Amino acid sequence: MGDQIKWETEMAAALDRARTENKNILLDFFNPG
Amino acid sequence: MDAVTYPDDRVISFIDENIIPLRVRFGVKPLTDDFNVKWTPTLITLDPEGVEHHRTVGFFAPEELIPSMLLGITKVFFDTNRFDDALMNLDKLLKGYPESDSAPEAIYLRGVSLYKNTDDPKPLKEAYEKLRDKYPAGEWTKRAYPYRLL
Repeated sequence: MGDQIKWETEMAAALDRARTENKNILLDFFNPG
Repeated sequence: MDAVTYPDDRVISFIDENIIPLRVRFGVKPLTDDFNVKWTPTLITLDPEGVEHHRTVGFFAPEELIPSMLLGITKVFFDTNRFDDALMNLDKLLKGYPESDSAPEAIYLRGVSLYKNTDDPKPLKEAYEKLRDKYPAGEWTKRAYPYRLL
């Protein structure tokens, strides 16, 4: 475990990881303010 | 979320072990339009093909975000007829976070998943009775109301 969340920032990369790791995706739309 | 929830060790650990985190700035196209997002934070659970199964809008404290993510993962299994996997995740949610805001929907989905697995309507009635006893005025109690007759 790291000390922060390792966010993906591109959908294609997240989908690749999801398929490879057989996991789902948490997509967070955020507003940095 | 950045100040309280995402730095929480329990949240970091859960995400690291269970789900791929993807962050997109609100307004970035085409994703904001593709997902019809109007407000932040909007959190969406996608399956590995990018299909949406669960959505929330608004802030979550750490002790609510983890069960909400479990519910999202459960819905991927439920929507794809993998009811054993859905039940495993629902049991994790209900044992680990029985007082969370996600628990009533989890009780409902557990009843439905058991029914889907067995064709026995008894779990539907049991789900209604649990909801009635614990959340007498709850939204999911109302949704389960017809099951009292089974």
